Amino acid sequence: MGVETSAAWQVLQRLAQGESGQVHLKDLFAEDAARTERYSLTLEDMYLDYSKNRISDEVMAGLFALAEQQQLGDWIARMLRGEHVNDTEDRAALHTALRVTDGESVAGFAAQVQPEVRAELEKMTQIVNKIRAGHWRGYSGKPITDVVNIGVGGSDLGPLMVTYALQTQASPINLHFISSIDGTQTSNLLKRLNQETTLFVLASKSFTTIDTLSNAETAKDWLEERITNAKTLMAQHFIGVSTKPDMMTKWGIPSENQLLFWDWVGGRYSMWSTIGFPIALRVGMDEFYALLEGASLMDAHFGSAPLHENMPVLMGLIDVWNINFLNIQAKAILPYDARLKYLPSYFEQLVMESNGKSVNRQGEPVSYKTCPILWGEVGPNAQHAFYQLLHQGTQPVMCDFIAPIERDDFDVRSDSHKNESLKDQHRLALANCFAQSRVLMLGDAAIPQALKPSYNTPFKHYAGNQPSNTILLKSISAKTLGMLVALYEHKTFVESVIWEINPFDQWGVELGKLIAKETYQALLDPALAQTFDASTAMLLSKVKSV
Amino acid sequence: MRISVFGCELTGLVTAGALAHVGNDVMALPVGHVKVDDLRAGRLPREEPGLDSLLSQQVREGRLQFEADWAKGLQHADVLIMATPSWRMDRAEALIKQIGETAKGDILVVNQSTFPIGTADRFQAKLKLSLAERGVVAKVSVVAMPDFISEGSAIDNFMRPDRIVLGCDDADSIRVIRDLLRPFNRMTDQIKVMSTRAAEYTKYAVNALLATRISLINELANNAEHFNVDFEEVRQGLGSDKRIGFSYLYPGCGFGGPSFAADVKSLVKTLQTKGYDADLLRTVLSNNEAQKEVLFRKAWRFFDNDLRGIKIGVWGLSFKPSTATVENAPSLKALESFAAQGASIKAYDPKAMADFASHWTYPSQVELVEDMYQALDGVDALVILTEWKMFWSPDYALMKRLMRRHVIFDGRNIFEPGVLQAQGFRYFGVGRGEEV
Repeated sequence: MGVETSAAWQVLQRLAQGESGQVHLKDLFAEDAARTERYSLTLEDMYLDYSKNRISDEVMAGLFALAEQQQLGDWIARMLRGEHVNDTEDRAALHTALRVTDGESVAGFAAQVQPEVRAELEKMTQIVNKIRAGHWRGYSGKPITDVVNIGVGGSDLGPLMVTYALQTQASPINLHFISSIDGTQTSNLLKRLNQETTLFVLASKSFTTIDTLSNAETAKDWLEERITNAKTLMAQHFIGVSTKPDMMTKWGIPSENQLLFWDWVGGRYSMWSTIGFPIALRVGMDEFYALLEGASLMDAHFGSAPLHENMPVLMGLIDVWNINFLNIQAKAILPYDARLKYLPSYFEQLVMESNGKSVNRQGEPVSYKTCPILWGEVGPNAQHAFYQLLHQGTQPVMCDFIAPIERDDFDVRSDSHKNESLKDQHRLALANCFAQSRVLMLGDAAIPQALKPSYNTPFKHYAGNQPSNTILLKSISAKTLGMLVALYEHKTFVESVIWEINPFDQWGVELGKLIAKETYQALLDPALAQTFDASTAMLLSKVKSV
Repeated sequence: MRISVFGCELTGLVTAGALAHVGNDVMALPVGHVKVDDLRAGRLPREEPGLDSLLSQQVREGRLQFEADWAKGLQHADVLIMATPSWRMDRAEALIKQIGETAKGDILVVNQSTFPIGTADRFQAKLKLSLAERGVVAKVSVVAMPDFISEGSAIDNFMRPDRIVLGCDDADSIRVIRDLLRPFNRMTDQIKVMSTRAAEYTKYAVNALLATRISLINELANNAEHFNVDFEEVRQGLGSDKRIGFSYLYPGCGFGGPSFAADVKSLVKTLQTKGYDADLLRTVLSNNEAQKEVLFRKAWRFFDNDLRGIKIGVWGLSFKPSTATVENAPSLKALESFAAQGASIKAYDPKAMADFASHWTYPSQVELVEDMYQALDGVDALVILTEWKMFWSPDYALMKRLMRRHVIFDGRNIFEPGVLQAQGFRYFGVGRGEEV
């Protein structure tokens, strides 16, 4: 018997079937001008407006009751302490322990791991400072200028997203990312780089990821074109980041060049660990610590704020309301700043790999929806792409709008024409952000009175009533990024607790990897293809015949 | 003539001393951090051969005085000479302001400082405006006379110049300056008169050309090693070509000094702010920075990419011989790269150790020793960064006894590879010696 039969769930079900499930957002706002004041929250440099959701005090009370019933507070405390909340793999999920700024504030296993966490950060600091100062030398004695991160999934997306977001900061290091197994990125990139000044970072939690190791082999072959001494090649041109020191040693990476993290850090939660090495290389350790500090701030808030003032709890519960009671199965992430280009991809992995599950912690199939399809794009660009569907399609979609209030990538004090233009562009971006969420909410009601006649056709009808959150960041900084990512980590956890699923495993991605091995063998030996289904056998034969 | 020289760095002091030496009544006034009391006590901001005695003689004979009060300097002189460091434009502006506010008659300012092109014109316009505002009717002339003196031979450069570049478009001023410089311009007329802007640009162009030449020679020498060619032989071949000539043809471990690289950098920057680029000069500068580590790279490869525990002895820290200055010197960058790899360093320089100690910012220490042979005690390699004369013919036997390993990295090619190899040394020069 799952959560769907529980009393709290039934209350919400009844609300959804009644007035609360039918009411239009424009009426909620018309009836209650103080709504936003009530349904918004500020935490340091972050402001969350969740008033454009189809919620009422009654709905919120029902959601809080559901959270209480599911013992959310207890689950949060257990996760933060380092209990084995990842039960299918029998281990903790302690990404929060990686960003503890004040050792006093943690207990249990989370406190026990602090010395190792600090030691590894210290080792990372030494290497980061050496490379950034130009004292990490390539085989010929020239300083390393280019660092290539080879990693995929959690070993790629976090550093890629954050370094892209912080691109306006000057850096002594040119950073590159290779992830895809097909070799295109590697082949293109190596044409532009010089062996003398290039360092590779191999980032893989298991150090068995075929995508990463195949790219690493290609990188090694490329280095061997110039470097004859195998010891030098490894000592000066490879750094490994993994939970498996023995596997790194086996691959040839000397222990001085190994940065460790631990099996209690999930891949998609790992950018706070030494997986964040490329971030620190790009922007320096002080900024990396600012990122951790931002996340730590959100952790403290998540662990201590009451449910009704708890940002991740509010966002998680409202998503549950939208998904399970209002039947909304799609969510769009819409940052209004091109620096957040990779944020949607990052959240796609974080949210869908965590909650894309259909059995509960007991292994029983669930009879309710869990994670929706989540996608996104830089908002102003998406306006020219899929917003048509948001405004006039047949899918209800919930949206998260994310925007910085200030920009720091030009001199705000300067009154040059260029800076005036840039300031104006920022105002335009914010105006678009606010306009879109408003039209999605109000629909036709947003049409100015004077223009109503010209909109009097079914093709210009806007249904509105699409719910959304708006998150404003003071600016895009390491600290606000840390807060933002931790916010989504925790709201994802909140949903998993309501749905009674384990967000920290990812068994769904395993089988494909296994079958790829068989398929690879069949590409080498066509005789094996006969054992495959007709479609796959034909695909294999097409490759063979090329 | 009555002369006031504003600026008591090397250029100002040499100018003041030389002009007093030929009979002028000269007042020298600091514009930066140099203190009049130090000058009066004979404590000079820079060591320069012959300068000390030149100045003390002129002071003794009453033709030279040091003064702090600019107003006295302005009252004293017929000709005002500005010799401000290029990075003290603020003081030059202040001086021009004061002249404009106080001058009662004709003004002749000779600017020797390396300031951006157009500065002389700008100063002249400012002065004219100030005088007009006060209702003073007088002639104003600001001329550009860039200095081409080099540290180590500054007095000789001033007294027996190859040429004097004079940027001036006023016939009366030219007459006055010609007369002032007559004692230094006897054998043939060395004064090249041109527009003030052309004179200012000439100073930058000379430095740009020389810097480019050095960097190109360094690149050619570095690459000669890959073909097993002794670049010294190539240098003879190059220099004997009349179109090329021998000067500035020695490869080495990079150029330095207070103004050389700084002037080229400043030209590149000025161009960039105007929206233009100077690709070649940018490359020249970055090449030179890389060349400062040329010996480090050789040692890095020689010691198999691991310098932990390696002991390095260093001869020479100043950016060139006969100077006590390490500003922009290869020694700072080169020794930091050794220190960062965990090598320990003992260094000797006849004059620049104090200046080196004040410029060294890297956390680990460089041990500065009192004798060139002390720097060799127990070391794994000798690194030569400045070609002081005393290093050219050392006691090889003593060196071998002192050094733990007999390895020499010579950034100034002061030795003959064959001779050193015969003595049992491993020898690595720039474009000479073994390849590593």
